[in-house]
Amino acid sequence: MRLPRLKLERVLVLTGRDAVKISAASIIVAFVIFSIFLLLEGADAIEAYRNIFSFAFNPRLGLVTTIHRSMFLLLVTLAFILPLKTGFWNVGVQGQFYLGTVGAFAVAYALGNLPAGVLIPLMMVAASLFGAGYGAIAGFLKEKWGVNEVVLTIMLNNIAFWLIYCLVIGGPWMGISESESRSLPASAMAPTIGKIPFTVPLAIALSVIFYFLLTKSSIGYQIRCYGSNPSAAKYAGMNPLKLLIFVTAIGGAIAGLSAYHMWAGDPSFGRIPRPEGYMGIGDFTFWGIIVGLVCLLNPIAAIPASIFIGSLREGGAILVRRLGLTFGLDNVFVGILFLTFVAFQFFHRYKIIRVKKRR
Amino acid sequence: MWPFIARCLETMTIFLFAALGELWNQRSGVLNVGIEGVMLLGAASGFVTAIHSGSLALGFIAGIIVGGILGLLHGLLSITLKVDQVISGMGIWIFAMGFATWWADKYSGPLPASLSSPKIGGMLSPLFFLALTLVFIVWFILYRTSLGLKIRSVGEDPSVAEATGINVTRIRYLSVIVGGLLGGLSGAFLILSYLRVWSHIPTSGMGWIALALVFFSMWKPFILLGGALLFGTIWQFGVSPEVIFPGGLGIPLGVYRMLPFIATIIVLMIILSPKFRRKWGLAKPAALGLPYVKE
Repeated sequence: MRLPRLKLERVLVLTGRDAVKISAASIIVAFVIFSIFLLLEGADAIEAYRNIFSFAFNPRLGLVTTIHRSMFLLLVTLAFILPLKTGFWNVGVQGQFYLGTVGAFAVAYALGNLPAGVLIPLMMVAASLFGAGYGAIAGFLKEKWGVNEVVLTIMLNNIAFWLIYCLVIGGPWMGISESESRSLPASAMAPTIGKIPFTVPLAIALSVIFYFLLTKSSIGYQIRCYGSNPSAAKYAGMNPLKLLIFVTAIGGAIAGLSAYHMWAGDPSFGRIPRPEGYMGIGDFTFWGIIVGLVCLLNPIAAIPASIFIGSLREGGAILVRRLGLTFGLDNVFVGILFLTFVAFQFFHRYKIIRVKKRR
Repeated sequence: MWPFIARCLETMTIFLFAALGELWNQRSGVLNVGIEGVMLLGAASGFVTAIHSGSLALGFIAGIIVGGILGLLHGLLSITLKVDQVISGMGIWIFAMGFATWWADKYSGPLPASLSSPKIGGMLSPLFFLALTLVFIVWFILYRTSLGLKIRSVGEDPSVAEATGINVTRIRYLSVIVGGLLGGLSGAFLILSYLRVWSHIPTSGMGWIALALVFFSMWKPFILLGGALLFGTIWQFGVSPEVIFPGGLGIPLGVYRMLPFIATIIVLMIILSPKFRRKWGLAKPAALGLPYVKE
């Protein structure tokens, strides 16, 4: 037997179709590698996957939470996608989410007596504004000073984490249990349409709006231009500072809004949990990075992708309870998915072709 | 006062190990933003190994080796597969967070008291002196040896370096692995000497500060030494401000914990202000962050 001879060839133009195939392949490979982890834990991989998805999508068990978490994931993905379209790595979604939390809770505690019809919009506006402001700081410093945005936004994340810590632990928002905040007033909780909070359709609408904003509007054109060639965009008369502040502020606003969705959209929260708890949700925002990248920064593709990945998080919990596996396996899956996706980026540049034997 | 100073110096040691490794691999043109992840997995493997084997030394060795493997992985992705270095580093970081949570969080808690190492004055690990020596060694290698010349030229212009007969791929692999080894050592030191307790994500942003330290050291080991001392002190002050201000002046603890992160942003802004920007741009390895594609 003789092995086929293989050769690398540069990919000059990457078609959208090929890019989708490469993304799909990386997800499949991630599942295969993850199966090895499941086997190491002593579980049957197929059985585990069946448990994950049957739990996550069962209307009587996980479905409501799955939808809630998935839409949170969708929002943070949007917050990540838009700035990256200009080449800005918004790793600061976490911090903008924390600031959104501060905005929403500040309004709810200060104006808790207002009727729901006034209070809820105010909370959402405050959350968006706080997130937008925090995002814009990063955009401004990146464009005006040239500070590396990855380091910068991570620093802002940590600052925001400790800000919430100050407010809750021994601070003005401390609840009965000293490590949690006071509960939100009932009027602040998101109204539901059969158990589904109204922020869910809102998130889907936002991703559709984002799609049209990016592909059909003039600002979307500027964003794409600047992302593919910043110096050409400058020559064409675009203002990079304005553009950067715009995308980071909008991204931050969405991240801030996701905070309202997270805490007020799920009746089991309604307050800021212990530091490990809100940090866990904060770390969940990083999943938006992988969803955004796997979707090739397409806001519409992000909807099914976040439902898929979100169901893994919710369904992953069942592995702990039903199969007795170790907590946190869902995090391992996302890590593996990120790494396989990174490795598959190789195929954005090269393809492996078989060399035909010459006679 | 001595306990506080010793703790500052240990924090400085953590920053120094990680940042020296990062400085080395950035000098060869490879940016590893996943250094927080390297530290985290170095810490996790060091901690778990030490608990199972009952030996601190084995813990350190495990941390260093795992760090080296992650460095190798970053090399594989960014040098051989030519993936964007930021994406690759992010991947390593996110993977490390997930993996460490699953693998090490079940060991949450302190190290057994039997696992103790000799400390100077009861507080300071002798590895502090290793870190100081390493600053000198890294400086010596980079500026006084032919290997260092190769590393620096690969970081400035890989195609010219290749033309003069330097194997760019080999030098870059060597550099990312050294970066990983030192990152792993930093993580192991963090958990086995400084913290001695595992809790969820114990690195808590230190790796990112180490990365920022490399940026504003202008890629020079001795400036890095000063930066590590400064940030080691700020970090430690953030953790226990009551040593300097009894009672913390009534300011909430969280405000002090923000200080190192705020200081990082301020210093990054100073280094990029019009006065320093030119100098900084000149010091920056010209090929930093760019994959090398042989044409």
